[in-house]
Amino acid sequence: MSDDARTDGGTTVKNTTALRERYDALKGEESTVAVVSIIGLLAFPWLFIEAPVVSGFLKGYESLASLILIWAIFAIGFDLLLGYTGLLSFGHAAFWGTAAYASANVSAYLTGSPLVMVLLGTVIAVGLAWLLGYLTLRRGGIYFSILTLAFAQMMFYMSSSVLATYPGSKTPLTNGENGFTGVSLDPLLGMFELNREMPSILGEFVGTWHYGFIAVFTFLAIVIAYRILNSPYGLVFKAIRENEQRTEFVGLNVWRYKLMSFIISGTFAGVAGSLFTIHSQYVPLSSLYWTSSGEVVIMTVLGGAGSLFGPIFGAAVYLWVENIVSGMPNIGAFWHLILGLVFVVVIVLVPDGIWGLPDAVRRAWGYISNLGGDR
Amino acid sequence: MPLLELDDVVKEFGGLVATDHVSLDVNEGEHLSIIGPNGAGKSTLINLVTRMLDVTDGDIRFKGDSIVALEPHEVVQRGIGKSFQTASIFPELTVEENAEIAALAAEHGEFRFNFLKHLRDYTEVSDLAHRTLDAVGLLEKVDRRAADLPYGDKRRLEISIALASEPDLLLMDEPTAGMSPEETQSTVDLIEELKEELGLTIVLVEHDMEIVFSVSDRIAVLNRGEIIAEGTPDEVQGDPDVQEAYLGGVEL
Amino acid sequence: MSLLGQVASIVLNGLQQGAIYVLVAMGLSIILGTLKFVNFAHGALYLIGTYVGMLVALEIRVGGKLQEWGYTTLGLGWGFIAALVIVPIFVFVVGILMERFIARPFYDRPDTDQILLTFGLAIVVQEVFRIMFGGQSYSFELPQSVSVPVTVPLIGSYPLWRLILIGITAALVVTVYLLIEYTDFGLVVRAGTADAEMVRLLGIKISRPYILVFGIGAALAGVAGVVGGPLYAVNPSIGMEVLVPAFLVVVIGGVGSLTGAVLGGVLLGLTQAFLTQFTLVTPWFSYSLSPWSQVGIYVLAAVILLTRPEGLLGSAEVGS
Repeated sequence: MSDDARTDGGTTVKNTTALRERYDALKGEESTVAVVSIIGLLAFPWLFIEAPVVSGFLKGYESLASLILIWAIFAIGFDLLLGYTGLLSFGHAAFWGTAAYASANVSAYLTGSPLVMVLLGTVIAVGLAWLLGYLTLRRGGIYFSILTLAFAQMMFYMSSSVLATYPGSKTPLTNGENGFTGVSLDPLLGMFELNREMPSILGEFVGTWHYGFIAVFTFLAIVIAYRILNSPYGLVFKAIRENEQRTEFVGLNVWRYKLMSFIISGTFAGVAGSLFTIHSQYVPLSSLYWTSSGEVVIMTVLGGAGSLFGPIFGAAVYLWVENIVSGMPNIGAFWHLILGLVFVVVIVLVPDGIWGLPDAVRRAWGYISNLGGDR
Repeated sequence: MPLLELDDVVKEFGGLVATDHVSLDVNEGEHLSIIGPNGAGKSTLINLVTRMLDVTDGDIRFKGDSIVALEPHEVVQRGIGKSFQTASIFPELTVEENAEIAALAAEHGEFRFNFLKHLRDYTEVSDLAHRTLDAVGLLEKVDRRAADLPYGDKRRLEISIALASEPDLLLMDEPTAGMSPEETQSTVDLIEELKEELGLTIVLVEHDMEIVFSVSDRIAVLNRGEIIAEGTPDEVQGDPDVQEAYLGGVEL
Repeated sequence: MSLLGQVASIVLNGLQQGAIYVLVAMGLSIILGTLKFVNFAHGALYLIGTYVGMLVALEIRVGGKLQEWGYTTLGLGWGFIAALVIVPIFVFVVGILMERFIARPFYDRPDTDQILLTFGLAIVVQEVFRIMFGGQSYSFELPQSVSVPVTVPLIGSYPLWRLILIGITAALVVTVYLLIEYTDFGLVVRAGTADAEMVRLLGIKISRPYILVFGIGAALAGVAGVVGGPLYAVNPSIGMEVLVPAFLVVVIGGVGSLTGAVLGGVLLGLTQAFLTQFTLVTPWFSYSLSPWSQVGIYVLAAVILLTRPEGLLGSAEVGS
């Protein structure tokens, strides 16, 4: 132990300047994230669809770009729960699907305003998340995973039969196996037709108002998630993941924080689900099926659970493979198998996913070059 | 008024009586050690105080108020800290984050909806974290990944986490288990220093008799769930019941 | 049908439905209870059992890639009994391989990693079958001798096959129970469920019983696939569809408890049968509960888990 470091005056001054530097560095980081996100979101459609060489390989189209962003929002929120808090839910389709159906019903029976659809869809998802979180978080570990799966399946089966119509009437609620088809959209804010193009930047195509609308929410998702991670909650989440018992024993109400993590992730899923309805103008019954829960799990882990941007890449890769690779000759039929295999490889060999790949490669390289032994 | 009172505490597991009508007071500012052969129920006692276990009967009072119905985190909030037997740290987090989580709990432990407030705005949290890291001598290693620390440092980190939650009473469950003599000595010195500096009350569960007899103000001897002797080190040393309990194993 | 007959019918249907759950859940329970390994790929073992069983018993027209590669029909056509013998052995071997190469490296990894890995594996297996055989449902036909209806007291005509299914399951339950209670292997399993660490310290080589546990658990799922095949669909998604109720049965009954798995499976089966057949008749309306038949088992599971988290016959908590 160093005796000199304990003179009060010296340490406090040293600590304050160090603190200030760190504060500035991090605040800087937040705006960096924001700027990078904006640039990325603006450039994405162009890169995906029209850029020379790149787009030729990617064969992107606008509808897919929008879909990628929607799932990215879902995955970012899911990562807060899985990657940061360490809780694996297999039932998040419950929030995605419920928000999708809710906003669809809003558009069919109330108003086609996209903003109201997202708002109400999300509010309902949050309420559901509070309820399901309260019920499933009483036990940890595998019980949580199984219970979330069970509740989501329960909702699926209810939606396929009992809730197909509003109780006591013939008005479609979920419309059962055929999916909800009565979605009708109004122009955004009463002014912007969603399938009209936004003004271009530097003469290059950016996207339609539809894409823009979704991109705004994606931007919000990224910066809000980043802020949450930098807040006390972010630290508590990570602590819970690393050592739940110890977190309780420093005096934190672990259960409440877990519930908040669950609700926050449900909120993101709700926004994404509502946007999905706006995007596809149709809600398939499969939105509530375990496969949808499984997809967001794969996307998150593939992209890199425990990182902010990883899940975005995970969503992009997954959807690209599902929609583009599946149409390619010879390997097309194997798209799902390929994703499954890559997923398994990631879990076994590259636990940090795509986002952690550069580090993994660096470590592997270091290991290989050290195999020669010391001189 | 004693800081911690155990009042006729009983703990039964099925038919097994792990804690048998234990009454014990811990006074503010003192260093009480609890010793006893293996299986005497020392850890059970600690777990009852921290509310990891429920008492079957009896009361436990801290600062005059009963704590037997509280949740573990509430007990910590009241001012009881525990240092674990194995270094119970947060492996993937940095040393700084390890201390910060405890400091956060100390400064802003009550649950609130502050998930949009930047952590760096809470300067008192990082101040407290740095102070406790400094106190255990880990300030230079703030950015290291906790899992990468050597075992001795992990134990110091463990203690700093317990300290950063600013406890009035610190329960230490065999803090020198598995340590080399040098590490043991420096840990003991550290504990002594902290007790002086921070005015802590310490309850220590230990097997190493040298330590126990050199640092304790009072010693309580547990055997088969009951207290068989209690008093100053000298009093306990001479007690025939204590010698019998240890059955000639340890030179007191 | 008289009221008693209706009740009897529900009971029989419930037992038959429950039998499948019991077979899958038993294997899952001992793997989870003894090895503390969460196997989300257990449904894949059922899937393998059902396809392989079909191929052993019959000759079928195939689709998918197999068809592309020139095979119009595939299968041994050795009959159902052959399938009942061969499939458990085959899936047993698969189970052993799974234990060695998948479970063992992951025993010390956290629960979430185990779930993720086995989930990924389940998808891979599912996709392989989908690619090879195509996504369509195959018909696993029973031999004439067992698909005839027999007369059962109170109910009347009842398919013989369903009774046989209940019988096979009961026989297997008894066999596994005897194995666990009266053999050395079973002793290790029971001790391992209680305290794996202790068993290791006592010097008992734990890996051999572990392998057997996995193999037996897998074989049970395989048998479930064979006997369930004729009644339920033979398609790639059936594995995961069976997995979810099976897990529910395990946790309802109490992890590691064989009796619990049987009890849970029967309970679930009865609930489902009851809801499928029951119609609430009042003077004003009649309401059939059958749309709730699938939902009902989840509601039941949720209620039990929320009121008695350790399961009906469970004791300690497994995992975190």
